[in-house]
Amino acid sequence: MFGILDILRDNWLLLLIGQYPSGPLGGFAATLILSVLGITLAFPLSVLLALARLSHWKALQWPATVLVYIVRGVPLLMIILWVYFLLPLAIGREISGFNTMLCTLVLYEGAYLSEVVRAGIVSLPQGQAEAARALGNGWLGTMRHVILPQALYNMLPSMLSLFVATIMDTTLGYVINVQELTFAANQINNQLLTKPFQVFFILAMSYYVVCFSLTQLARWLERRIARKRRGAAVPAALAGQLEPLDSLPPSVATHA
Amino acid sequence: MNPTANTGGPSAPGQDSMILFSNINKWYGDYQALADINAEVRKGEVVVVCGPSGSGKSTLIRTVNRLEDVKSGQLLFDGHDIQAPMRSAALNKLRSRIGFVFQSFNLFPHLSVLDNIMLSPMRVLGVKRADAKAKAGRLLERVGLSNKAGAFPAQLSGGQQQRVAIARALAMEPPAMLFDEPTSALDPEMVGEVLSVMRGLADEGMTMMCVTHEMNFAREVADRIWFMDAGRILETADPQTFFNRPQHPRAQRFLSDLRAH
Amino acid sequence: MKGFDLLAILLKQEFIEMLLHGIALTLQIAVGSWLLAMAVALLLLVIRLTGNPVAERAVAAYVSYHRNVPTLVQLMLWYFGIFSLLPDVLQAWLSDHNAEALLSIVALGLCQAAFFSEDMRSGLRAVPPGQAEAARALGHSYFGAMRHILLPQAIRNAVPALVNHTVSLFKNSSLAMAIGVAELTHAVKEIENQSFRAFEAYSVATFLYLFFSLLIMAAGAWVARRWRVTAAR
Repeated sequence: MFGILDILRDNWLLLLIGQYPSGPLGGFAATLILSVLGITLAFPLSVLLALARLSHWKALQWPATVLVYIVRGVPLLMIILWVYFLLPLAIGREISGFNTMLCTLVLYEGAYLSEVVRAGIVSLPQGQAEAARALGNGWLGTMRHVILPQALYNMLPSMLSLFVATIMDTTLGYVINVQELTFAANQINNQLLTKPFQVFFILAMSYYVVCFSLTQLARWLERRIARKRRGAAVPAALAGQLEPLDSLPPSVATHA
Repeated sequence: MNPTANTGGPSAPGQDSMILFSNINKWYGDYQALADINAEVRKGEVVVVCGPSGSGKSTLIRTVNRLEDVKSGQLLFDGHDIQAPMRSAALNKLRSRIGFVFQSFNLFPHLSVLDNIMLSPMRVLGVKRADAKAKAGRLLERVGLSNKAGAFPAQLSGGQQQRVAIARALAMEPPAMLFDEPTSALDPEMVGEVLSVMRGLADEGMTMMCVTHEMNFAREVADRIWFMDAGRILETADPQTFFNRPQHPRAQRFLSDLRAH
Repeated sequence: MKGFDLLAILLKQEFIEMLLHGIALTLQIAVGSWLLAMAVALLLLVIRLTGNPVAERAVAAYVSYHRNVPTLVQLMLWYFGIFSLLPDVLQAWLSDHNAEALLSIVALGLCQAAFFSEDMRSGLRAVPPGQAEAARALGHSYFGAMRHILLPQAIRNAVPALVNHTVSLFKNSSLAMAIGVAELTHAVKEIENQSFRAFEAYSVATFLYLFFSLLIMAAGAWVARRWRVTAAR
């Protein structure tokens, strides 16, 4: 297996930034940019979707619920195909694979993130909203200044988890030739041809290191928030190392 | 009721000793939960253990079937030292002969009432299904719940669940029954139905050790009362003596606090 | 743009065959990997229950790997990487017997096993400690208590999470397309290539995926209802 070190030594630049500057920015940099942009843009969408699902107007609630259920029931790959097909029609011009993937991620992660936000809002003690309304705040004001700040803070670990999931979802860009990390690894493999296991082992370990670190960060955050919220000894479940985050709503914890 | 000596000291482990505590000590870290326990429950006796919260009553009764370990001392159940090192098979066999009723019932929610009672005789004692079923039916009748055989624990009230728990323990035909605050988790109106089952058992001569706050029950059914505080048995006496002329100052305070309600 | 004409797809013999073949493969991969995942998950649970610290860490590493590496990458590692390490005889046999689909089942099954085992473990942790105490008090052995009292409750607790992960497993079958398996997503992509009717082709696939996902969720709800275990008091 010493081929691994040689491959890394020869190709680390390709893995890191793709074929830049003689091509678009690729590799791990592209993965990172895609993930960060994806989750950032998904965030406002998720808040809107969550509020829509929690609102009392059926006209808002039903479409939002249907959208979330569709995203939960259809493979990401299928949604990529849809966006790849519909978006150019809607906008009127061709869209690069990168942008297609970005839009898909915004939609897909936005739906899952909305579940996180919704769970965060719902898990706040009712007294919070009641107190805010009793003080004279309207529905929107209550949301903006009392509910959402708390809910979002509490759901930070879950959002971090979803960010990890987003990083893992970017790999599907490979199927539509987006030049991210998995694509770079396949390029290397197609050149070398003789060391496929080493190449893909490197790929797997790269993702593992990144995602594992972020997941540990999320757990640390969760413990810290729990300690702040409860002030007492941390419950045993949160002190565990491999438990799925307790604050993650079930539909998101099983994010495909 | 048997006439008993007014001491807590152990008699020589004779034929009629069911549970014998000899110099039992237990610590949780630095905190001593049980201190120098020497006491005996004879066959056919009903012993009620009472005292303020944190006195170690529950810890004491849980050492009898080794749900709690002890640091030093000897605990004989029907002649066997249950706290001695032994293989798990031997421990399981001993435990199957000690009936234990929990404060929180701990019925198995995924099994029907009948299955709850039948499971352990079949799996632990090897009783055949038909026999186990017949016995379970008789026990349900005895605790007054024949019509609930097919029900699931979630469908029963607390008092009913506890009665099923008693039947479940009795199904193993134990020579002694231990009750750890059997009515403390019940709404007041259901306490009576459980106590009357326990009273029935006592009348039949079952050896019983009960941790309870039900003083009327203690007064009427117990042969002896053990009063505990801070991990020690401070006074043992028959109910008449204990309730009318308690000796130990803390027992006196305990009883006067009770009467103040 | 031509009007939405579903029949243009559904009436063509060739397309119907591709669709049916795709559905069949998707279902085979889903069922195969589900069975593998369940079997391995139970194995992992048993290994964990032995209490051996080395075993515990091994299982923890297995779960950690499968949860932090993207599923597509795992699939590639199996199909391109591990396949090349196998002895030639095995490689030849696999190539004759639909290597892509088989390796997909292996990769997807082993991946989901990690999630299933965590679900069961959570389910076991959710069983109140009083249950184990009651089992011990009645004289049950460790394995007897597990078999008759604790594990049945653990599985019932785990049903919602298991159902969600089963839906994930089903959706992951589409990833097999990346290594050339002609499952449903691949099939409609092909139909689209040939008929230029993306809307219709994708709609059929989307409908089918939704149908099966909702079916799984409904089945899960039914099982949960039948096995409803109100928390032990």
